[in-house]
Amino acid sequence: MSKLYIMCVDDEPEVLEAVERDLAFFEDVFPLEATSSASEARSVLERIEARGDELAVIFCDHVMPGETGVELLEWMETTEAFGNTKKALLTGQAGLDATIQAVNNANLDFYIQKPWTKENLLSTARDLLTQYVLESGKNPLPYMSMLNAEAVTKAMHESGLVSDE
Amino acid sequence: MKAKNLLGACLGLSAFLLATFNSLPGLSLAGSIALGIFLLAAIFWILEPIPIYATSMLVILLQVMLLSSQGFVFSVRSAPTVTVKETTGEFDYLVPSSVISSEGLVYQKNADNAIIPLVIERLNIANAEWVTIRSEELDVALPLIADANHRAITGQAYSYSKFYATLASPIIMLFLGGFALAASAVKFGLDKNLTRVLLKPFGSKPSSVCLGLMVCTGALSAFMSNTATTAMMMTVALPIVGSLSPKDPFRKGVALAIPVAANIGGIATPIGTPPNAVALAALRDSGISLSFSSWMIMATPFAAILLLISWRLILSLFKPQTDRFEIAIQGKFQTSPKAIIAYLVFAGTILMWLTEAMHGISTSMVAFIPVALLPAFGVLDKKDIRGFSWEVLWLVAGGISLGLSMKDTGLASWLIGQISWQSFGGVGVVIAFALVGYVLSNLISNTVTATIITPLAITVGATLSVSGDFNLVSGIVAITVIVSCSMVLAISTPPNAIAMSCGIIETKDLARTGLLVGGIGIALAIVMHLIYWPLLM
Repeated sequence: MSKLYIMCVDDEPEVLEAVERDLAFFEDVFPLEATSSASEARSVLERIEARGDELAVIFCDHVMPGETGVELLEWMETTEAFGNTKKALLTGQAGLDATIQAVNNANLDFYIQKPWTKENLLSTARDLLTQYVLESGKNPLPYMSMLNAEAVTKAMHESGLVSDE
Repeated sequence: MKAKNLLGACLGLSAFLLATFNSLPGLSLAGSIALGIFLLAAIFWILEPIPIYATSMLVILLQVMLLSSQGFVFSVRSAPTVTVKETTGEFDYLVPSSVISSEGLVYQKNADNAIIPLVIERLNIANAEWVTIRSEELDVALPLIADANHRAITGQAYSYSKFYATLASPIIMLFLGGFALAASAVKFGLDKNLTRVLLKPFGSKPSSVCLGLMVCTGALSAFMSNTATTAMMMTVALPIVGSLSPKDPFRKGVALAIPVAANIGGIATPIGTPPNAVALAALRDSGISLSFSSWMIMATPFAAILLLISWRLILSLFKPQTDRFEIAIQGKFQTSPKAIIAYLVFAGTILMWLTEAMHGISTSMVAFIPVALLPAFGVLDKKDIRGFSWEVLWLVAGGISLGLSMKDTGLASWLIGQISWQSFGGVGVVIAFALVGYVLSNLISNTVTATIITPLAITVGATLSVSGDFNLVSGIVAITVIVSCSMVLAISTPPNAIAMSCGIIETKDLARTGLLVGGIGIALAIVMHLIYWPLLM
């Protein structure tokens, strides 16, 4: 079974550590990759793709040295392997233009304003992971302990996965 | 995977051809064809080269084409015909002697290819080949069947519509009613809210919360599908599991309690799980119709006792290490008009099912109340109706249809005639069928297992019950509940598969618990078959 990853990208080590700590809750089921720049993120993405694994959700800062977060998300949107990845900006400084660009070109799924709260980040991550798993058409059960259980049950009913045979 | 499918398909088809084209001693032509269809279906159901519901549909197609009185084999179109040679008097005709059957009947065929049997009077035997007959009903314009012993007449095949009719049989309608109720309950969150309320009195002690979870799961799965109940209850159980320390063995206990209770709960009512439908249909075909409440009086105590034993078993296998834990299920009962109607129809239908003795409206007739009323009030829309498990209805209908042919072509009697059942005694027969059913249903679908063994069990039972050695209803109920006790492997039942794929329990946990619960279930069923169920029937 292919693994589903969560990735966070931020150039400030303290922020990255804090996000990592908050999202550690999912680690049993969804392994976490923390990277400090867009270029590092790209090389990790290459590894994930090469192994046949998938990236379910990315939390990405916008203003970083080198390539910006929105540029990274735009590029991901055009690739086959990461087009369906749920994309969230976790940032304090993305201006209106960059945000519009992210929504229009990178199909941005969520925007979290810094500073974030742990509850908010967890529930956003849970919802995005749930969406990704259900949209990917995978059997949601192995991931169910970490997902929005009601959404999963509803989807199972709708897809007829619940009959006794 | 591919090779296995190919193997299954080849095996099934060759068994079908072998049985159909080899006439076996003691088996009629129709019986041979039925044997071919039975073997094909059994092999397809076990090896699954195609989905099991597709096999059921294939069974009905083969029966319609090969076993019906309009099909390729038994159609009167295939019978040679002659016309009256000479009209010798007002109602007297000279005909070949081969048109007269051993019962003294002559058969004509009308323009619609229907056979018209005529009672005749044989006037004289002119010679061996020609006779004069007298009949007031004979129509000279219509052809006579030249050979009165042709299979179109002696085969006594059904009209194809009888095979199709199994899809609208009372038992299927009963299940349709169950689907409608369950769909409305899920749509308005009744299942989850009932769980929330029912769990409250169980407090926060691990052992009693576990009992609470099992009771809720069992009660819901008695009215909804075991699988849907498990999916819903896992969403309640997983947060509990998550709150326990990763080293606490009770994590596994909670995750196991749900599928075990769901499998057991399905036994409690006729609509709980499809094998019950197969048993009810087979009994009905033998002229015994069991009401909703009589099934419950027989099966609910069994399910309740087995549930309690399983609870203690799970507690002792997976000892909790915490003293208490919290369950927080959010939500409140919906109070929209549609939700209220859903509750009322749900309660009303179940009440009518339980009180059949008072009003005399049968279980299957009551079942259509929710089917008609829920869409009428807009409680269920067409999306909900599309969401019913229609493939399960096809699966059961194919089984009922196959059972029909097995019984009436003499196949079932022929098959069981290969073993001398008298020497088993009444209990021996139940144990033999129960063990075969238990092993089979651990490996393949419970419904399919019931479909394969019930027609045979009921034929043996009918033979033995003539000599007073066998209580047919009790025996069939025992075999059916034992089929539902199979839960050793993840593939044994869909609830097991759901629980396993959540990643908390391992194969060996399931195997250990499943074997113990199954073993106790078999023993309990045999005991009830000996001392409790015969008192009721």
